[in-house]
Amino acid sequence: MIDAVVRGREVGVPLSAQADVIVVGSGAGGAVVARELANAGWSVLVVEEGGYWIPEHYSAMTPSHMFRRMAREAALAAAVGIGETPLIAVLAGKCVGGSSVLTGGVCFRVPEEVLGTWVHDLGLTQMSPEALDPHFAAVERAIEVEAVPTHMRSRSTELFVEGAAKLGIRMKPLRRNTRGCKGAARCNFGCPHFAKMSVDVSYLPDACAHGARILSDALVERVVFTGGRATGVRGRFLDETGEPRVPFQIAAKIVVVACGALHTPLLLRRSGLRGPRLGRGLTLHPSVRVYGIFDERVDGWDGAFQSVYSDDFEHDGITLISAYGTANLLAGGFPGVGREHRRLVHRIPHTAVFGAMIHDEGGGSVRRWLSREPLVSYRLAARDGERMRRAMRILAEMAFAAGARQVILPIFGAPPVASTKELDVLLARRPSLRRVECVAFHPLGSAKMSTHPSRGVVKPSGETWGADNLFVADGSVLPTSIGVNSQLPVMAVARQIAHGIAENASHHVL
Amino acid sequence: MVTLSHALSDGRGPAPQAQAPRDFARTTLRRRHRPLVRALAEAMFSHALGPTRERLDAFVDEFDNFVSFASRTLRFGLLVMLGVVRFAPLFVLLRFATFETLRLDERIRIIERMAASRFIGLALVLAAYKGIFSLLFFEHDDELAALGYKDERHRHKHALRLVASTTAGEVAE
Repeated sequence: MIDAVVRGREVGVPLSAQADVIVVGSGAGGAVVARELANAGWSVLVVEEGGYWIPEHYSAMTPSHMFRRMAREAALAAAVGIGETPLIAVLAGKCVGGSSVLTGGVCFRVPEEVLGTWVHDLGLTQMSPEALDPHFAAVERAIEVEAVPTHMRSRSTELFVEGAAKLGIRMKPLRRNTRGCKGAARCNFGCPHFAKMSVDVSYLPDACAHGARILSDALVERVVFTGGRATGVRGRFLDETGEPRVPFQIAAKIVVVACGALHTPLLLRRSGLRGPRLGRGLTLHPSVRVYGIFDERVDGWDGAFQSVYSDDFEHDGITLISAYGTANLLAGGFPGVGREHRRLVHRIPHTAVFGAMIHDEGGGSVRRWLSREPLVSYRLAARDGERMRRAMRILAEMAFAAGARQVILPIFGAPPVASTKELDVLLARRPSLRRVECVAFHPLGSAKMSTHPSRGVVKPSGETWGADNLFVADGSVLPTSIGVNSQLPVMAVARQIAHGIAENASHHVL
Repeated sequence: MVTLSHALSDGRGPAPQAQAPRDFARTTLRRRHRPLVRALAEAMFSHALGPTRERLDAFVDEFDNFVSFASRTLRFGLLVMLGVVRFAPLFVLLRFATFETLRLDERIRIIERMAASRFIGLALVLAAYKGIFSLLFFEHDDELAALGYKDERHRHKHALRLVASTTAGEVAE
């Protein structure tokens, strides 16, 4: 439990505060900045729109209760597809700890090929593997990144591996930020055993031990500027109905925005920042899953939530990755209604789940509209659409190779297929991608880092082009899609930005 | 106007944190929506033994609670989609009747057609509701028990014991 949290909805009267640094958002980016700067002796105040739940609460909550309390839009947020694009469900956290509480804990470094593009094509020289290595290494130590051992694999994952082996696809163990994982397959709903080292149990307690404070249930509405410099924030605490009511204002020498790629552009725009790239170029890593129904009992929930992946199709922009949802989450993706749906749902104990993620071009945008949640739209590039079709085929073939009796593709209205021949017939019809059930867990790149204001929103230091002493340190600054899970890259880049702020302290506080 | 240190020392900080915060007190469904949600859930999940009337009533409350955590815009969108379901008999069967007034077998026929509809909008409305409804319906203890889902982790515990005994053996050697 973190002692230094003030729950905004319990404050009830207007509040004013002062700090050296305000960090807006307590997720993977914000928590790292808070800890690094608090550690460097700065007074840090973290402001979080979501509520504060202690890890002891996680085990008492069902998946749907976690969603409604700790995910944005009760996990119903989605990117509206434009053209031949599916509606893409986007999962993002809204709680102290942010999305790190709701991730599978998978940790990848940014592939060197991607870093090469950032350094050589985009001129971001501080993003070289050598420059980022100490930041990756420090974060990996802090959140205890380890490879998932073979004995942690669920039977679903074993079938994923067996199917891949029969097709000559190589699998590798994933690395995750865990300590003492008990294989409850519930990483996406807050670890009930406190084994996942999300930032609410790693970085934030350490930040608070170094003097940082956290305000939860506090919606920042504007960054305040004086003479072109950020000098604080204004906002309102949420009341018991969830609506913003009681005002607060906080003065600071530096403001770091880390609300995630869906909300950072909104806050910057509300604060008066403008720019052609703000809120544009959002990447999502659209993901699909295929269900294989087997004769044997699989009980895929028994074992690590995610434990292997394959980068054999990396150059085709596809990462194959094992994952398993809870039974009620999987049920929604099964075809049919009434008795037929129920019959299939009752095959869930015999079902293995195979997943794939697309390394996308980035056709998304984030706009402000009717409520405080953004309108997210996304246009799937033709290349990425083909990747999605190919990924579904590969996963289905793997399931049949592993011995599946039936395979369910993530296409609304499509019946299960019982053979590769039926699969061919179904895919030969080229069902519209708008019918594909698609999810995304890694919204990135909506306030990109660049060497020129016409190409991005923030400088290589993380400071915005539009205002001094205003930094962005979350997934929105990543300049391109990375093709791998984003938690560790976001944390490493945030750490680099935090160290840059600390090293240039004399410049920023003048 | 209070200061942060005052708020922290005023019991708004450390003391109450062990308690979970109360959920937001808001609802989404109006009285006219509830029979429609109930009728849709019954059509989606009907089987030989149920679901019972009590279960369906409780489900409507659970659905209302769940969606009430979403933003005003999203909740409005869900209600608009519910309106599409209400008038689906007109689009799908060319019948002047609302969804909730139809017999169960007719409702099932409608949602089957919506699922397979060429109009992707109709299919997506159904998919959205099916996703939310399934998340809530199959989370019920009875449904999880029917699936054989247990919180206990047998297979993995067995693997952990094997690893522990192997490691202990290596240490002893």
